Amino acid sequence: MLLLANIKKELLLLSRDRVSLLVLFVMPMVLVLILSLIQDDLFRATGGAATTALFVNLDEGELGHEFEKSLQDNGALELVKSLSGKEIDSAAARKSVFNGEYQFAIIVPAGFSATINQSAEDAVRGALRDEKVIPRSSRITVIFDPAVRGVYRSAVLNALQLGVVGLELSRKGAVFEKLLPEELQRNIEAQMGSYAPTDLADQLPRISFDWTNQSLISLDEELASPKKYATLPTSVQQNVPAWTLFGMFFIVIPLAGTLIRERQEGTLTRLMTMPVSNGSLLLGKVSAHLLICLIQFGLMIMVGRFILPLFGTPVLELGSDPLALLLVAVSAALAACGFGILVGVVARSYDQAAIFGSVSIVIAGALGGVMVPVYVMPRFMQKISVLSPLGWGLDAFLDIFVRDGRISSVLPQVAALWTFFLVCLAVALIVFRRWRQGY
Amino acid sequence: MRSDNDIILSTDHLVKTYRGATSPAVDGVTLSVGKGSIFGLLGPNGAGKTTTISILCTLLQPSAGKATLLGHDVVRDAAAVRGKIGLVPQDIALYGSLTARENLYYFARMLRVPKSLIESRINESLQLVELTECADQRVSTFSGGMKRRCNLAVAILHHPEILFLDEPTVGIDTQSRNLILERLTELKQQGMTLVYTTHYMEEAQQICDDVVIIDGGRVIASGEPRQLVAEAGGCDNLEELFLVLTGKQLRDRTE
Repeated sequence: MLLLANIKKELLLLSRDRVSLLVLFVMPMVLVLILSLIQDDLFRATGGAATTALFVNLDEGELGHEFEKSLQDNGALELVKSLSGKEIDSAAARKSVFNGEYQFAIIVPAGFSATINQSAEDAVRGALRDEKVIPRSSRITVIFDPAVRGVYRSAVLNALQLGVVGLELSRKGAVFEKLLPEELQRNIEAQMGSYAPTDLADQLPRISFDWTNQSLISLDEELASPKKYATLPTSVQQNVPAWTLFGMFFIVIPLAGTLIRERQEGTLTRLMTMPVSNGSLLLGKVSAHLLICLIQFGLMIMVGRFILPLFGTPVLELGSDPLALLLVAVSAALAACGFGILVGVVARSYDQAAIFGSVSIVIAGALGGVMVPVYVMPRFMQKISVLSPLGWGLDAFLDIFVRDGRISSVLPQVAALWTFFLVCLAVALIVFRRWRQGY
Repeated sequence: MRSDNDIILSTDHLVKTYRGATSPAVDGVTLSVGKGSIFGLLGPNGAGKTTTISILCTLLQPSAGKATLLGHDVVRDAAAVRGKIGLVPQDIALYGSLTARENLYYFARMLRVPKSLIESRINESLQLVELTECADQRVSTFSGGMKRRCNLAVAILHHPEILFLDEPTVGIDTQSRNLILERLTELKQQGMTLVYTTHYMEEAQQICDDVVIIDGGRVIASGEPRQLVAEAGGCDNLEELFLVLTGKQLRDRTE
């Protein structure tokens, strides 16, 4: 079999090139590791886990602590109150955010409790007396790193708003509980004069405002999965397959490079005078690089399962159908190799192949939801995204990891990847045949 | 006189015009090569030597004319032709990161040498070009002369009936050059036909049975080297004749 001889030669050539091996195996692993960790942070910022913020409480009263407690109970924010064992002040907090060490700092001002208590009393009294009162407001300062994205900022502001509303409600309730009997007594005395009972406040039923914290409506989260809460999508489940595909598709450059080098060095010319078929020559390269891609895939999955968790991410859960996973991996690798062969026969130089190959992969990755999930793209871009082979692969991987997908459920994406591979290979064979016929 | 049965390769008004070119690279070349001979294809830079060899090796399609090799049309029966020819290209067409033996093994497979014969053919080829001792070294570590010899070794693995050599001795030391010329003569004695291009006229005079001199894509002289020199008058050797025929002006050209 000439195909086997071609595969053996390609693998031998690759094994002799240590730099290429480093690029082929180590770089994609580093890519998956670094980008998954970076994206993991963003994923957490958009609701996946608590956000860390500096908290400076300059208030002498009890409300600053209550506010702090309500934020912690809410679970959306993890508050840091000291740095290197030393309690932080507002200047240190500003400096930390300015230096990019923290993205947020929350500063509760001095006199916060006194101001809020007084304002609540003014507001409630005004309401009970039907008087128009503009109560004094107290300002909680939130310092943002300017590089923080809008969605991240909104999440923090929403969490703070929730805390502020809860605090205001509880203060106003407490003041109302205290003022209502007093105001009733005052009104009755005003109307009945000396006939008014002197112990009216004691005879009124006690009003408690604890019920303000009790929820009447709850939100029930349910995944569109066959089994409720069967597999939760984690940042790792999104990022590892996305960046794995991205890394696998970069096989295009070394694969195209081998073909271009053979053209430039004259070995391809020599091979073209030999009784060997075009298919055998091209499929030899595809098969060898397919094997490389699958090894890359295995290594990157191992990064997701064993190395990323060491940095605090969740363990990569691979779903329940390893055969489907292997099928998608082979199909995606074939699509990448097919594209590599096409670039190799179309490009006239290594530089052309490297630039065109890498830029087209970045575009296909962006369109396919590798960098930003497709659902947050503008509608127009979402329509275009269905053209990306990386998008097909990613969709299939997410189907297996998150939606408990099986072979039958990933067949459309697998068919699309195979079609892409076959079209690329067919075009490459046509161009190659024309070369060999001397056109 | 050579009979038609002795002709192993012939071309008939072969023309090749590259796309976008204003004049043909090969312009009506007609030649015939006798079986078991060394045939020299001589000419200055840009004369059309490599284009002619490329057509005969099935790498290029002629724009017009015909070329027949062992009874096969090189365009219509390209696949049949490929099994019978060997090519020593102008470039060192070897994989530098593989050893000489690994290169020979791979190309032997591509040349469809039966598996049972591969080992002996590799050893035979290595012996012929005197690279047996360096067989397991990477080609990238070889000197220019060793690479040229290895380039030749690959082309004879399958015992081709016709061996095309496109400037096989360019840029190498005298010893390697001499060895290659000796081996080519040996191959001829074994019955192989060689079609050979070179810039070194003394080489051509030394080993070629017949030569054609082409310039501007056209054949301007053909025959046995000694006879051509004798007929020209006033020329002592093939190089002088070559300069008389092609002129002394430089032939630098850009692609």
